[in-house]
Amino acid sequence: MDIHVNLNGVAERIAADPAQRLSSALRAHGLTGLKEGCLEGECGACSVLLDGEPVCSCLMLAAQAEGRRIETVEGLARGSGPSDLQRAFVEEGAVQCGYCTPGMIVAAEGLLRRNPAPTEAEVRRAIAGNICRCTGYASIIRAIARTASERGAGETS
Amino acid sequence: MTAIGMRHPMLDGLAKAAGGQLYAGDLAIEGLAEAVLVTSPHSHARILSVEDSAALADPAVLGVFWHANMPSHRYNSSVWFEGQEADADEAMFPETARHIGDRVAVAVASSRAAAERAAARLVVRYDPLPARLTPDEADRARGPLFDAVGAPTFLNPVDERRFARGDVEAGFAAAAHVSETTVATPKTHHCAIEPHVALALPEPDGRIRVLAPCQSVHAVQVVVARALGLKAADIHVVKTPIGGSFGGKAEPVLEPIAAELARRLGRPVRLACDRRQTFSSTRMRSATATRIRIALAADGRILARDTETLIDIGAYVTGGNWLPGSMLQRHVRLYDIPAERYYGRAVYTNTPPTGAFRGYGSPQINAAGEISLDIAAVRAGLDPLAVRLANALRPGAIEPYGGLDVGNARLRDCLILGAERFRWTARRAAPGGQGRWRSGVGMAAAAHVNGCFPGSDESTTMTMRLLPDGAIEMISALHDLGCGSNTTLAQIAAEVLGLAPAELRIVEADTDLCGYDLGTRASRMTYVQGEATRKTALALARAVREAGARVLNTAPEDLVLASGRLARRDGGEPLDLPTLARHLTRAGLPLPAATETHAATANPSSHAAHFAEVRVDTLTGLVRVTDYLAVHDIGRAINPMLVEGQIHGGIQIGIGMALCEDVANDPETGRMAGDSFARYILPNSLDMPPIDVHLVEAGEPTGPFGAKAVGEIATIPVAAAVVNAVNHALGTELSHLPLVPARVLDALDPDAGAAASSGTA
Repeated sequence: MDIHVNLNGVAERIAADPAQRLSSALRAHGLTGLKEGCLEGECGACSVLLDGEPVCSCLMLAAQAEGRRIETVEGLARGSGPSDLQRAFVEEGAVQCGYCTPGMIVAAEGLLRRNPAPTEAEVRRAIAGNICRCTGYASIIRAIARTASERGAGETS
Repeated sequence: MTAIGMRHPMLDGLAKAAGGQLYAGDLAIEGLAEAVLVTSPHSHARILSVEDSAALADPAVLGVFWHANMPSHRYNSSVWFEGQEADADEAMFPETARHIGDRVAVAVASSRAAAERAAARLVVRYDPLPARLTPDEADRARGPLFDAVGAPTFLNPVDERRFARGDVEAGFAAAAHVSETTVATPKTHHCAIEPHVALALPEPDGRIRVLAPCQSVHAVQVVVARALGLKAADIHVVKTPIGGSFGGKAEPVLEPIAAELARRLGRPVRLACDRRQTFSSTRMRSATATRIRIALAADGRILARDTETLIDIGAYVTGGNWLPGSMLQRHVRLYDIPAERYYGRAVYTNTPPTGAFRGYGSPQINAAGEISLDIAAVRAGLDPLAVRLANALRPGAIEPYGGLDVGNARLRDCLILGAERFRWTARRAAPGGQGRWRSGVGMAAAAHVNGCFPGSDESTTMTMRLLPDGAIEMISALHDLGCGSNTTLAQIAAEVLGLAPAELRIVEADTDLCGYDLGTRASRMTYVQGEATRKTALALARAVREAGARVLNTAPEDLVLASGRLARRDGGEPLDLPTLARHLTRAGLPLPAATETHAATANPSSHAAHFAEVRVDTLTGLVRVTDYLAVHDIGRAINPMLVEGQIHGGIQIGIGMALCEDVANDPETGRMAGDSFARYILPNSLDMPPIDVHLVEAGEPTGPFGAKAVGEIATIPVAAAVVNAVNHALGTELSHLPLVPARVLDALDPDAGAAASSGTA
């Protein structure tokens, strides 16, 4: 069967089996940025934005995404370059092995859209469902806070 | 210095952040078949038959393989190089499963979904056997490891190691305080977010190409060859980007099977574990139980120490036979102790096999040594920091294990700086509360090695050359495990060559391209590969200046390589590298190239002192680490941002070992409680304290630009620092890790704990 979604800003048709997870269908569609780290919603590596909200795409059937708006890490880039958040992750040392990174960045983007000026505690809570085994999280929290503050400065100037 | 000491972003960071980095699981290859393992639900059972007709009825299924139709060559997955002898007790598919998670069969199909369906349809008949599930029980089953015909007996001990120096009895006789403690450390899992995966493809020339996230392409090559009964030259191995390893991908677990399937089916095959299999069917950190007796003089000097450790290495030897020795090596590198006795032994159990995990035994023996020393100090009424300062190994000391000079080892500096910045004395004396919440502070020190000298051939070869487009290519056995080692090495090369690190074109490990090397392990990348990089860059810089001198008709010594070009001392027009390359290629002159082999001839110590503050809820038994400070003797930080990243990540893994991580094999059934992220609890963003990192950069003369290792030592002292803080907060002597709430509550009120556990039984 095919499902119809707005995928990273473009109306697309994605092939999926009725019992296929959204994560698996998106990866088969070529969007391999998101990872399947546990397939039980514990690691967050498969996070995507569904109508702007971060979700574990491994816990959804592809069919449940019918008619909805999906953004993956690939879709967060601005124009031809990486987004400010993606750049901040690299510059703050928040990327090591990189396997959790796409899901982590998606979760962070979801946070910053609904809460443009989060406290540190709010940042920690927003990524509590995304496991990173490399960084100890401090650099990730720094990258998110820096992006929030840069976006805030951009709006007030 | 332009590149050294720079907080340079990781070279492949943007590709990762944009989702464009392709890992082995992401590769789309024409005709790729997918393979799914079936693993044993029994701790010990003969595998009688695998009924596959239901699975094979699906036309998408390409085959089902198990011990009846796969090669049965015995091998050891921890072999590093051709010719190395090792206890060979593994087979791709054993006739008898030796642990829950052992490999029973594999189903191959044209898609992952079809392979999963096929695996689920296999009917396996088992004949369960008695299992030895605890190391104590296993230790009683003693005998030779192999029988008369060379078959493994799985008797114990797998290895034992004794060591003695000085007059231990005299030390204890002279002691003002004698303290004895037993410390237990859990089996913990690496939990790299990338589950285990390997890919193999038949090559047109008859070889098999293996693509895998691995720590040594040469180790994969030799292990696959032995498992398949082929020559190493028949196997071509290419390292793929790695989604975390921490030692977990040091041993080829899946590669032999993927290679055999590709050979047998004549098409590319990917074998991938799910998370449960990654927990139960790969490798983990060995569990240890260590009894330590310490003789302290009244002034805190350690007069003698007597250590006995029992190491549970699980179902197969892998590298477990090295653990008694490597734990001893690190145990005696920390303090200057005049009399020491050590007895370590490693035993098989019917639990998942263990292997390398960030420190290779060091976190276990460090937890034992540093928790015991803390308890001894408190019992004697001495300050734990003062006791460590009184015994700390000094620069230039000769360590007693191998008689090696520990180099510019700055343990005392770490202790002194850490105590000052953490305000140790004041915080240690501060009251921790009497109510529901109690706080306390603790600390621990650590020592670790830099590479494998002199035990293994610590040499590595690198080639650098100017390419026709003016870029500089770097070829060696490079295995960046995600820590940024390629970036670090590029910074070293860039410093010598006067380039920007991003201008280096890095070729990662490929057995067709790079020289033999031990791979990324034993904290050897920066110290050994880094020095090889520096030497090769120096040789290339010479060759570039000579080539430039020919083009510019001047002398090489009149040219300086800086900012990507050759500047002339006489003030003439500089020559950039693309222009130089163009001149040379047009004139038919050779492009400059250099190949150097660096062999390490020393193995200095890296040191660290860690300080932790905890808050314990005495009602629930939950422990939170509320503040943390780490000081590391790093020699010289090539990239302080990456160094801090290693330290923060190491602390995260160490806090897990101290407080919550345990695969927890049930001693009665062998069942693993922690075989998923839902039940294996590891620290997340809410669990991590603020961390303050300080570096002691006193320079190691034998390291590149003075640098030493940090990757493994970052996690070594953490568990002890945290446990010592809990004991300080509660006035307890907790020493059975991890300090899960039930153990904390038991320690606070042993009677209530016993009542509660009998109540639930």
